[in-house]
This record gives sequence, C-alpha cells and structure tokens, in this order.
Amino acid sequence: MSGLAHVDAERRGDLCVLHIRGEVDISNARDLAIEIEAAILNGTPRIAIDLAETTYLDSAGVQLLFLLADRLKVRRHELRLIVPEGSPIRAVLELTNLPKIVPMEPQLDEVP
Amino acid sequence: MSGSGAAKPNLVALALKAVLVAGAYYVAARLGLRVALIERNVTPLWPPTGIAVVAFLLLGRGVWPGVAVAALLVNLPITPSPWAAVATAAGNTLAPFVAAELLRRVDFRIEIDRLRDAVAIVSAALFGMLISATVGAWTLQLSDVISSERFASAWAVWWTGDTMGVLVVAPFLMSLLLLRPKGRASWSRAAEATALFAALAVVSVVVMRSHHSLLFLVLPLLGWAAWRFQLRGVAPAALLAAGVATWAAAHGWGPFAGGTLSGKMLTLQAFNATVAFTSLVFAALVAERMRAREALVRSARELEERVRQRTAQLRQRSRQLDEAQQVARIGSWEWLIEEDRVSWSDEMYRIYGHTPQEFPVNFEKAVEQVLPQDLERIRRNVTDALSSARDQALPATEYRIVRPDGTERVLLGKSRLHVAEDGRPFRLVGTVQDITEEKQAEREHRIAETLQRSLLPEHLPEIPGVAVAARYVPATKYVEVGGDWYDVILLPNGRLGVAIGDVAGHGLRAASTMGQLRMALRAYATVEESPAMVVERLGRLSLTLGVSEMATLVYLVFDPDSCFVTFANAGHPPPLLIPESGPAAYLEEGLSPPMGAGSDVEGAEATVQLVPGSTLFLFTDGLIERRDRSLRDGMSELRRAASPAGPDLEEFCDYLLSSLVEGEVADDIAILAFRPVPLGGRPLHFRIPAEPRALAPLRHSLRRWLREIGAGPEETHEILVAIGEACANAIQHPYGAKDGVIDLDLATEGGVADVTVRDGGNWRSISPPGGGHGLLLMRGMMDSVEVKSEAGGTAVRMRRRLRGEVAGERAGTR
Repeated sequence: MSGLAHVDAERRGDLCVLHIRGEVDISNARDLAIEIEAAILNGTPRIAIDLAETTYLDSAGVQLLFLLADRLKVRRHELRLIVPEGSPIRAVLELTNLPKIVPMEPQLDEVP
Repeated sequence: MSGSGAAKPNLVALALKAVLVAGAYYVAARLGLRVALIERNVTPLWPPTGIAVVAFLLLGRGVWPGVAVAALLVNLPITPSPWAAVATAAGNTLAPFVAAELLRRVDFRIEIDRLRDAVAIVSAALFGMLISATVGAWTLQLSDVISSERFASAWAVWWTGDTMGVLVVAPFLMSLLLLRPKGRASWSRAAEATALFAALAVVSVVVMRSHHSLLFLVLPLLGWAAWRFQLRGVAPAALLAAGVATWAAAHGWGPFAGGTLSGKMLTLQAFNATVAFTSLVFAALVAERMRAREALVRSARELEERVRQRTAQLRQRSRQLDEAQQVARIGSWEWLIEEDRVSWSDEMYRIYGHTPQEFPVNFEKAVEQVLPQDLERIRRNVTDALSSARDQALPATEYRIVRPDGTERVLLGKSRLHVAEDGRPFRLVGTVQDITEEKQAEREHRIAETLQRSLLPEHLPEIPGVAVAARYVPATKYVEVGGDWYDVILLPNGRLGVAIGDVAGHGLRAASTMGQLRMALRAYATVEESPAMVVERLGRLSLTLGVSEMATLVYLVFDPDSCFVTFANAGHPPPLLIPESGPAAYLEEGLSPPMGAGSDVEGAEATVQLVPGSTLFLFTDGLIERRDRSLRDGMSELRRAASPAGPDLEEFCDYLLSSLVEGEVADDIAILAFRPVPLGGRPLHFRIPAEPRALAPLRHSLRRWLREIGAGPEETHEILVAIGEACANAIQHPYGAKDGVIDLDLATEGGVADVTVRDGGNWRSISPPGGGHGLLLMRGMMDSVEVKSEAGGTAVRMRRRLRGEVAGERAGTR
C-alpha cells in the first residue's frame, strides 16, 4: 500500500538529500517539482534525489527529473539520483536514458 | 261456566238499561199525553219516540223490551181494550226501532254536525213514524174510538206528533250528551246562552199569547242558537219553542184560539216542522262550516310550524356549511349568467380578504383581484364552456389573487356549467379552495427533496474489486424529507471511504445540514487517513458551524487490497457484518457520541478484516424503526433477515427493504452494502474519470489484479507504468476523453496480460514539451502496443507475457 509521493529534505553538510517517498504521476508531478525547488532554495551545491522509496514513477516523473536537471545545471548545482538495484522504477529511468544525463547510483553511501 | 258468568253482568246491565229506558219513556209519555188533541191518546208532540230512538241508537237494540213494556203501560189505561193497547204499543216500539236502524245504516252521527246527518234524522223520523201512526190510527178506528171520517186527521196528528217527538226530543237528548265533554264554557258563552234562552222563552210566550200570527218571530232566535251554539244550543231551543207552541195549541192560546182542530193541527205541525228542520239543518251547516274552518286553521298552523322547523333546519345547515367552508377554507359561488349576478358564500369573501357579504358581486367584480396572467386563462375557460352550450365541468384552475392588504394567495377553482333546456347557459357554480399553505409546503418539500437527492451520490463510483449497492427511500407520508444520507468516496490512496449518516429533524434545515456534513466529510476524508480523526474534525466543525441538529454517522475506510475496514461510529446504529455463512454480527466498537451534542467529540475507531464472501451493511434507523417494535427488536430482526446476504448486493438491498419495511415509510431510509470481490481469473472492466487524481486509485486496483494473476513486483510496476501512460495520454489531451471517462479492459489468456485502454477522443502524437516518453515507455514495458483510432475514440491495446521474474531481470535483457 502506498500513497502519492511527498518530499522529505535532509541536509548532510554541503549535500542536500531529497527523499521522494511514494508514487509520482501526472496528478502530483508539478506539486513535487515546486516542493523540490523550495527545498533547494535553502542552498547547497550538491543535491541527491533519493528514489529508493519511490514506489511508482511514470513519464511525468521522468519529465520532472529532466526539467530539474536542466534547471540545476544552469544554476551550477551538482545532481545525482539514488536508485537501488532491483528498484521497480529503474527500468523506466533506463528506458528514457535519464542516467546518461544525471548520474545514477544505487545507494546514498556511494555519494562522495 | 265462564260463558254464562260473563254473560250475566251483560244481561243485568241490559235489564237495568231497559228499566231506565222504560221509566224515561213512561214519564215522557205522561207529559206528552197532557197535550193530547184527539181523545186522550193522540198528541201533536210525542216525546217518548225521541227517547226510544236515542235509546236504540246509544244503548243498542236489546232495550226494546223496556220500550215495549213502557208503551204498553202508557196505552193500557187510555185504550178501550188490552189488545188495542198491545197493538199500539207494538207500533210505538217498532217505529223508533226502524228509525234507529235506518240511521245506523247511513252512519249517523249524534253530533248532527253534517248536513247528511240532519237530512238522515228527518228522513228516518218521517219514514219510521209511518208505522206507529198507521198502527195507532187503525187501532183507534177498529176499537171504535174514532169514526172512519176522522181516521185521516187522527193518522196525520199521530204521524206528525211522533215525528216531532223524534225531531225535537232526540236532538235535545243528543245535545245533552254532547254538553259533557265541552262543559267548560267561558263566562261570556254562558251569559250569551242564558240571554238567548231567556229571549227565546219570552218571545215564545209573547208570541203564543198574541192574537196576531207572529210565530215566525221565533226563527231568528233559533238562527242565533244554531249559529252560535250549533246542536248544543239549537236542540234545547227547538224543544223549548216546539214545547211552548204545542202547549199553546193544546190550551187554545193566541194563534190557536179559534179555528178547527185540523187548522190548529196544521199551524202547529207546520211551525214545529219548520223549527225542527230549520234548526237541525242550520246547525249542521254551521258545524260543517266551522269544522272546515278549523281544519283550515289547523292545517295552516301545521304548515306554519313546518315552515318554522324547516327554516330553523335550513339556518342550521347553512351555518354548518359556512363552518365547514371555514375549516376547509373552501368558498362556494354561483353566477347567474343572464343577470350577471354572482353570489359568494361567506368564506369566499374571507378568502378574498373581505368581511362576509360586504358588497354585491358580478363577474367582473369576482375576477377583479385575480392576477392578470391567470385571469386570461380563466376567461378563456369560461368563454370556451359558454360557447359549447352543454352541461360540463370546467377544467380545475389554479390561480393567484391579491388581497386588499397586498398579500398573494393561491387558489384552486373548480366549477360546473348548467345549461337550460334550450341550450342557453344560465348558471355557473363552483368552489374555490385556498391552497396557499399547501403550495408553500409542497414547494418546500420539493426543494428539500431535490436538495437531498442532489446531495446523495448520483451513482456510486465503480471500484474494481468492490461491489457496492445503496438505496435511499424517502418517507411516503406527505412529510418533509429527512436528513438521511450516504456517500462513497474514492480516496487518493486507492482506498474506499464509506459514510452513512442521519441528521435529526426534517425539511430544508436537515437537508442543508446534511449537505454541509457530507461536503466536510469529503474534504476531511481526502486528508485524514484515520476515520476517528475524520469524525473528530467533523464534530469540531459542526460545533463551529453552530449546527444545532443532532447528527449521527458511521464513517469507515476500506482497503480493497488488504480487506481491512477501519470504522468510527458517532452515535449511529452499528454496521452489520454478514459472513458468507453463519450468523451476522453488529460491529459495536469505535463508538463516540453523536455530533451536535454540544461538546467536543473525541473520535474512536476499530478495525476488522472482511474475509472473502463477507458483506458489510450500513443503515439508518428508518429501516428498523417501527411504532410496534423496539429499536433492539428491529436490530435483531435485521440481523436475522440479513443472513445470508446472497450473491447479488442489489437484490440483497431490495430484499431487506421489502422484508423490513411494511406499508408506509414513516421515516426516510438509507442503506448501503459492500463487499470485496476477487478480480483475477476473469475479464475485468474498469471505468475511471479522465482525471489525474483517478490514476492512483486505479493503480491500487490494478496492483491487486496483477498480484492475483501472478505478476512479479517488477512486471507489476512496468505494466502499471504502461497503463498509466495510456491513461495519462487520454487525460492530457484537451479533446481526449469523451464524456470524461476512460474504459479499461483487462484479461489474461495463456499467461499473457491483455490490456485495452479506450477513450472517446483521437490519439495524438506524444510529444509534450520536455520529453515525450509516454509511448516510448509503453513500448518498452509491453510486448506489443497497438494504437487504433476509431470513430468513437482511440483504443490502445497492450500485451505482455507474464513470467513472474525477479526485479531487474527484464530491464537487464534490453
């Protein structure tokens, strides 16, 4: 059982970790984008989007991530995604070639 | 023994009567003989015959021996031989007997108050006395008392004497009998009678003493007696006059001083006959006339009395009618068409806002207060009816009037046209009922009902894997609608929120309170997962809203995936859990007080699991409430009736309504039943609204279906993404989904999941700004994707063979 996603922000030094927990679809992608932007405004050079607890992600979510990557690139933020091995959403991300634009790592620990 | 015993007193009585009659006869005879004109036994006035006739009439035929013996005793001394006396006595007995018999034959009345009675007694006397006169005269001649030359005169004297005896004496005796019942005469009557008789006595004596023939002077006095006293006055008067005249003749006074015996006899008998005949006839005529007048007066009085009673009756009826009209607020009217005169009942004036009979009415006056838009209709109806020229009821018309004080009333008019025989319409009659309050109540009822209906879900959301049925039954009595309601809410997390509630009271207030609660519950249900919290917040809201009505509610959240039900109950009848087999049970936990009770409600909740096949049933108290049954008995009856629920929930609801509710529905009823149903193994059809928020619940249902058909976690996610993309495409297209719905058909065949997503719009290329990954994902996730654009919309068919593989495997092979 899972509900629609919400964002929890966590600060680890100069790293901002955004945990996206729940489902992402067209009904909440825009709201999530705003939430994420709001969390980033607090200002940290490095950002990790943690999708370990994201239970559903469709093209609206993928689009959200693409747009986010564009915007952060302009603002010289460093962005990476955390997607564990065996995560159900991994296939979606790989199919859309998102990992080629945003580095994708299996767990948070590996983020330097 | 008894016969002779009974006969004896009669015989004695008869003998006594006979003796009495004999005595009277004898005395009268002795008196009569004192005025004998021929020898000693022919008298011009023979009173005993009158006595005998009256005796025969009144005492019966049986008294004849008395008459016979008395007659014999009278005649024995005055006849030369005993046999002559016997013969004479026989004649004297037979004559009155025959006269009496004749009178009896013609139904004679001793009152002699009819002309026919007067004629009868005169005729009977004249005829009957032929016998005594003939027998007597012959006897006298045969016994040589008189010569044959004197036979005729003797016969004539005898006959007239006997006849006068009857005509003068019999009525007198009869009048004496009549005095008895009417004895209480007034003083003026007594004085008048005294004066009359005094005058008569004086006149009679003076006349008899005078040498001039002034006999006729007696007649006016007899007329007076007849006119004023009828038989009771005229009979004694006649007796007096005849007696005086006879006495005068016997003694040779005044008019009888000279002349022959036959001359005297002629004068006397003519006088006596005139007196007797005139008196009797005149008295009878006057009596007859008076009786007729009395009858007329009596009938007039009766008529008067009847008219008085009838008038009183009519007045009472009319008062009752007026009262009835006031109670029913129905006025009645009549329009006499040719005279253009309208009569209104009192209530008509009151309905139109006037005092009863305040002014005269004609047609124009009658319709003066009608609103113009309604008047046109009335005029048209009347004109149509008048031109058709036949008896008919006019169409009932509802119309509005304005009273003098400016208030508007709604009236219902019914009328009927009466047409004369020549086809001329002459009369229109009708009633008018003031239905303002009824219309108002009807309007409010309709608004409240419409409001309530609009607040109940038009159709329940279709939730795959959950069967839901609900009913709302308004009270049948013409009472205001209640505040019963139910709702089924598809929650964003794919769960199902189910609510049933009852707002105390009826009418618009209850309906609007219920609407507020329902909306608030919808809002809270989407943000609060816990039913207890939802109830608590509702309670707090109703406090701040100032909802004064008590409201009860059961709110529960059902997870179709786990089949767990979490419920909170704010003072409502508990939900009934009905297992597939075995007894049903009420869920009596999760209780908190009703809302609107005035204090802050602390919500409580409890959780049960609905095992497959079991049903949860929610209801309002209207279902179990009945005057002849306690609430607890009603709940027991419901528990018995509800088990088992059967396969079809719609039928189940109908069955419960029909078996628990009899006849009139006193209070409105809301019921709702739901149960989880398995998804896998058979083709499924979902219909969802083409809105983004519908996707999460859909995924929830699809996850369950996919699990049931054996898809692994990664396969499940990938198929979900493919279906989600197909749906999102329909949702995002401005002209995508027709009717705002998306249809999904799911099936499995030979280990292949087969999904078709249909909308009513046209497929478009998937290239929204920032990346059109939809179709790419669909193709990537599924074995095959076919897009078919049809006239009715676009269908996307996708298939994928299921392996139940571990996560990541498929992505790796790409």
